[in-house]
Amino acid sequence: MGFASQDALINAITTNGQFDTAFMNKALGAAGIAGAWTLLGPHAGSPPLSVYTGTDLNFIATDDTWAEGVTWTGGDKSPATKHFLSAGASVVAAAGAPWYIMAIDMVGFVPLTTTNVSTTGTKTVTMTPIAATAANVDRYPNGEGLRLFVAADTAMGANAPTCVINYLDTGGNSGATTSFTSTASVTIGNLLNTGAAANKYNPFLPLAAGDTGVSDIVSLVWSGTAHASGTVIIGLCKPLWTIPVPATGLYTKVDFVNALPSLRRIPDGANIQFLMFQTGATTSGGTVLVDFDYAWS
Amino acid sequence: MPGFRKIAEISSADKEGRCWITQFRKAVASAATVQNAGIDYSYFAGSPPANFYASSPLVSSAVESIRGIYVPTVGSGRKQFLNNIRIMSAASGATSTANGRQLLLLADYLLYYPFVDTDAVGEEQVMENTVTIPRYPGGQVIAVAQSASSAIGTFTMTYTNEQGVVGRVSQDNRTFIVAGGGQVVNALGSGASYNSFVNLQAGDEGVSSIQSVTFSVAGGGLMALVIVKPLMLMYFNQESRRTTSSNLESYGACDEFQSVIHKAGMPEIKDGAVLNFFASGFAGSLASSILVGTLETIWN
Repeated sequence: MGFASQDALINAITTNGQFDTAFMNKALGAAGIAGAWTLLGPHAGSPPLSVYTGTDLNFIATDDTWAEGVTWTGGDKSPATKHFLSAGASVVAAAGAPWYIMAIDMVGFVPLTTTNVSTTGTKTVTMTPIAATAANVDRYPNGEGLRLFVAADTAMGANAPTCVINYLDTGGNSGATTSFTSTASVTIGNLLNTGAAANKYNPFLPLAAGDTGVSDIVSLVWSGTAHASGTVIIGLCKPLWTIPVPATGLYTKVDFVNALPSLRRIPDGANIQFLMFQTGATTSGGTVLVDFDYAWS
Repeated sequence: MPGFRKIAEISSADKEGRCWITQFRKAVASAATVQNAGIDYSYFAGSPPANFYASSPLVSSAVESIRGIYVPTVGSGRKQFLNNIRIMSAASGATSTANGRQLLLLADYLLYYPFVDTDAVGEEQVMENTVTIPRYPGGQVIAVAQSASSAIGTFTMTYTNEQGVVGRVSQDNRTFIVAGGGQVVNALGSGASYNSFVNLQAGDEGVSSIQSVTFSVAGGGLMALVIVKPLMLMYFNQESRRTTSSNLESYGACDEFQSVIHKAGMPEIKDGAVLNFFASGFAGSLASSILVGTLETIWN
């Protein structure tokens, strides 16, 4: 399915009413870090803040029914398919500009707490590999296009160990991300693999040469001096689109009908979440607003 | 055959994960830069980390991969292309407009020769070519200051061109006065006709290696000669800032380039590429401004 022509799109959104708008707002619960990316999920707003509940070191698949809060996009439309038409974003904060807002489809996460963060070594993950079935967790067959990041979902303690994630690629072959240096004492949401320094990767961890996605998270390995405290998640997501926000209070609108590739699909079950890059340290209490239009046919 | 033959292949590459988005942030140092002249963003702090061209003087060296904006290695049988780039620049202060209007050149940094003494008048500084140029048969040469410089200098260089012809001699090139490292110090005329690339011998289009440099007039500093492959020129318009007094106003723009639309040929990014930017600031000094952007690649 999808839109065979501009006429089909216009017919769908005017005659048939096959469109809707989604909205998200977040108030940042802590000051950000200049040059780093932040997962907006742990910050309050609409949807409400997420705490990433789950059994340690077990992959938690998420979709648009995730109890901790999703940006609702109307549920399953199969055999029709949903597509982004446009999106807009604004950030209001005394400091931190300019920003980038990135929409991601959060396929799932792996929580790590207590000694899985405060000790070094290999932390083995339990996960059923992503396959190519009709299940929501397999909405990107065999993990095609999926990316990895590591985010703090509570404030982190001192120390900055190095970290690597072992995974299986889309063909089930073993791979490892490039090793990154974590960040000490960051606030909630901070992506530990990002920042303005050596051994940082913004916003996603590099995969092994030639790899195009991740079907299975095998383990996370901390080395060096462990974080003194904190909880983190390994995020597994599909990047969807990015919006620049040049200055506080400005609203940027992006058209996805005439972009290339155009009309990016929203798979049934997509759990749309957001990442934010900040050039400076965004002020605590700053607000982030995102909306997007979508249609289906 | 690698490459894209139709739009559907671009969509398929995106769907199948043969794409990458990376993001960079480069903070220019506090020393004033020369209006209308160039700077080398790779030299300044941020992500990727600063590239000071710090290796043995006059010995050829490849720029370390960690000094470049990260892009994946796609392997043989595939070609990776620049798909999209979005650029913004944070002003150095609430009222500064000096970092608006930048001409940006995305380049693959290939080879460099550090610590050329621009005061060594009459002395032929002979290069040691222990490392050969990677990825391309040749590229353009950019002179990057590695210190402040105090005078308008004049130099020539001998080189091998990209056809492999040895013994080529550049035209007279000028250096000029700058306040710190990271600034492009190449000019023509009396030293105020700023030029991105070192002027070569007539008929040459690129350089594969440099054999020597000779200054006839002292420049009062140190510089690196860097061979780069230019990939894409782009323009950045308005700085990002927010006033703090009177009527509070926000300013800023993001410039976006979709390479298949805005750049004939869709620049190829070869495996191992070390990507970074040169820029000319036409509105004033770029000191303490911060360039940020996202860069998307796609391969087939």
